[in-house]
Amino acid sequence: MNLNEFKQKLFEAGEKQGFKDMELYYQRTDSLNVKVFKGEVDNYSVSDSSGLSFRGTLNDKMGYSYTEKIDDSSIEMLVNEAKENAQVIEDKDVVEIFAGSPSYSEFEGYSKELEQLTAEKIIQFAKELEQEAYKLDDRVVSVNMCQVAKSEGEKLIANSKGLEKAAKDNLAYCVVSVVVKEGESVKSDMQFLGTKELKDFDAKKVAKEAVDKATSALGASSIKSKTYPTIIKNTTAANLLATFSSTFTAEAVQKGMSLLKGRIGDEVATSQVTIVDDPLYQKGLMSTPFDAEGVATYTKNVVENGKLNTFLHNLKTARKDGVKSTGNASKASYKGAVGIAPTNMFIKPQSKGYDEMVQSIEEGVIITSLQGLHSGANTVSGDFSLAAAGYLIENGEIKRPVDQITIAGNFFEVLKDIEEIGNDLEFGLPSNGYIGSPSLKIKGIAVSG
Amino acid sequence: MLDNKVIGDVLDQALSTGGDFAEIFLEDTRNNSITMIGGIVERTISGREYGLGLRIFNGLNSVYAYTNDTSRENLLSVAKKAAMAIKGTKMDLVLNFQKQEITNAHPIVKIPKDISQKEKVAIMKRAHEVANNYSEEISQVVVNYLDNEQKVLIANSDGKIVEDTRIRTRLPIQAIASKGTEKQSGFHGPGALKGFELYDEINIEDYAKDAAQIATTMINAEACPSGKMPVIIDNAFGGVIFHEACGHGLEATSVAKKTSVFSDKIGEQVASELVTAVDDGTMPNEWGSLNIDDEGNPTKRNVLIENGVLKGYMIDSLNGKRMGMEATGSCRRQNYRFAPTSRMTNTYIDNGSSTPEEIIANTEYALYAKNMGGGSVNPATGEFNFAVNEGYIVKNGKIDRPVRSATLIGRGIDVLKKIDMVGNNLKQAPGMCGSVSGAVPTNVGQPMIRVSEITVGGRKGE
Repeated sequence: MNLNEFKQKLFEAGEKQGFKDMELYYQRTDSLNVKVFKGEVDNYSVSDSSGLSFRGTLNDKMGYSYTEKIDDSSIEMLVNEAKENAQVIEDKDVVEIFAGSPSYSEFEGYSKELEQLTAEKIIQFAKELEQEAYKLDDRVVSVNMCQVAKSEGEKLIANSKGLEKAAKDNLAYCVVSVVVKEGESVKSDMQFLGTKELKDFDAKKVAKEAVDKATSALGASSIKSKTYPTIIKNTTAANLLATFSSTFTAEAVQKGMSLLKGRIGDEVATSQVTIVDDPLYQKGLMSTPFDAEGVATYTKNVVENGKLNTFLHNLKTARKDGVKSTGNASKASYKGAVGIAPTNMFIKPQSKGYDEMVQSIEEGVIITSLQGLHSGANTVSGDFSLAAAGYLIENGEIKRPVDQITIAGNFFEVLKDIEEIGNDLEFGLPSNGYIGSPSLKIKGIAVSG
Repeated sequence: MLDNKVIGDVLDQALSTGGDFAEIFLEDTRNNSITMIGGIVERTISGREYGLGLRIFNGLNSVYAYTNDTSRENLLSVAKKAAMAIKGTKMDLVLNFQKQEITNAHPIVKIPKDISQKEKVAIMKRAHEVANNYSEEISQVVVNYLDNEQKVLIANSDGKIVEDTRIRTRLPIQAIASKGTEKQSGFHGPGALKGFELYDEINIEDYAKDAAQIATTMINAEACPSGKMPVIIDNAFGGVIFHEACGHGLEATSVAKKTSVFSDKIGEQVASELVTAVDDGTMPNEWGSLNIDDEGNPTKRNVLIENGVLKGYMIDSLNGKRMGMEATGSCRRQNYRFAPTSRMTNTYIDNGSSTPEEIIANTEYALYAKNMGGGSVNPATGEFNFAVNEGYIVKNGKIDRPVRSATLIGRGIDVLKKIDMVGNNLKQAPGMCGSVSGAVPTNVGQPMIRVSEITVGGRKGE
């Protein structure tokens, strides 16, 4: 069905039910995903899927509904469910359908170059990636995952206040995971690459990173429990920041779920720390010219030289705090309600090289992986206690791999204990935001072995 | 849900380039969720997920495609596109669909979509009130209400055609206690393969009170000591330790490619003789149960480990081919967007002979993990981690004091061998399990168990 026609019918039906302002949010994703196992394509997956959500204000309350079956049969359901949902809302905060920002960035985050990445090229690259991983080291006993994919999407917001904005984005990625074995020691590690540039698809380089990480952990053992000066490696630091990124949202603050409440302008980190949220970051995988409410996005420092500068806002939280939306309204998809999330968010890199950091430590640890971030980290208190692995540093040199340890601490204390920030900014896997960090040298973290 | 003629034509098209098996998974799901923060309904969202997944096998290779557009024209075009990825020669296919009628082993009394949002909100309010009034230290209560009704149709080129409806309801309750700048939370999330009658059968106030009690106990607890020590893990959600530490390693997804520590170990002693572990998708109305799995096979009671000896795996048909073993009714997916693979249903360690009182009384010193949080595992190495949401130190046979922020780490295969006491108070608890085919509802379960040694991470040194 024609989307414009659908919108008209939907809004007419909504008006009959008493909705005042209404919005349609449509999303479509096209993707191709190839998995290779032992030289053969063992899974090839294609999809073209779409869905839309309806929301509208009824007696100043916002009702939501969605569907993936876009035809006349869904219109009544969308309107009725949104109505029933609006009627049980008790929240008194003002919600609005947005009429539009004065201007928007032209940067959409769509890469024309990725159109050249055909199915044949993807299969060829996946095969190469697996081959390289096996070739690099005899200790690679299995490539337990080798996946290459690309996806392309478009979204559209159209509302009864006249706003109509659409944007396209795309992305290609690969994941390779290897299992290595030496004697009785079995280790596994993976490398993820998400990009919009074809030149990043360098099979040798990606495979080498996964293999190096896995093999360098062979023969790892635990260490004595104590507080060690610690380097948290870039992507690991990014994962830690991602876990606690919700504490920077005004939603968490207003609901009493963030310890940063009332601390705008305070020193929350050492003065070297600047945390940027940049929806217009060229290499960002979460780049967008407008947010989930249609507000124009812009680049901002959430923490600037250690001081808390702003929370991340959508229209509702901004109105409540008497500020402007920061353009961080988010929807996980058309299936979700509007919340708040970072876009491309990262700790700004400084000048220290990773090797230099290692050399500066007499006895300490490097943390290269953290497990249990979804369960062992309390985003409310900032406390974490996590399974970890990495290396032991002795006299400025990497002495040996370490595993079967945990690290424990508090995220807000870690921000204040950062001594040095590296020049090696890297991003983690995109999820609720695309989060990056350089390697961080921390004064001390409690390690249990 | 879809005309037999269309199904036949789509499967035919799917096999037109030589594939040896094709399968359709059609889904029409109604989801509903309500979020209450601080006793106020903040968000409600409901909707319809609808789409079709198409799987084609050619030997051990598979192609997966999905779409929301189930018009005949589009389905044939999707099938054609997917088939192009399979190379070979066309086989003649004659499909004779014999619709299999399944007996519903999980009767539903009150269909959630027939209950008004207001009635659902009333249940949430009851939970909120109890948790919020539990103590002055409770600073926030978040209650979520979830229900969904998933209708599926599964048809394949072996002539199978079968339909099922799965209805689930759940009420996750989170209570947060504050003291100065510190915050701790307690959680319970009862849920079942049931309709709204769930709330007639359980006392939601008990769960809410318990969530608040965990939060207030933990805010007043000292940091957990760290290091290697014996650990007593309580029943119900404690079973997450088996789920993560061993369950994932017993799924054919990793066993078939020999990337699991449990590959090729059938018949071997992999656990203490006290351990019998089962995955059972047939348990009436349990959160992880199903009449049929997502390839249309009836679910079963699968014994994984019996008296410490490895007896079986959880197997889907594709990995079963790779392993030369039968599928076990264990193939699952979050929805039509995911190709299905072997997953857990209700996985538990079976009852032993000790009473919980005996276990505690027989322990000189241990961490007692009364409530576990989530965890994860790397199946290739078996290395796991879990958060302990409610912990106590046991000293001289008695519960001594609460401790907080503990994490357990180790390797699954080591922990299984170190289980030295198994209780007789088996209980199930619901959770969501995330893996390659998405997030699926699963139960974990166990009686109280004692492990002679696990590495405990905490904020307080040894």
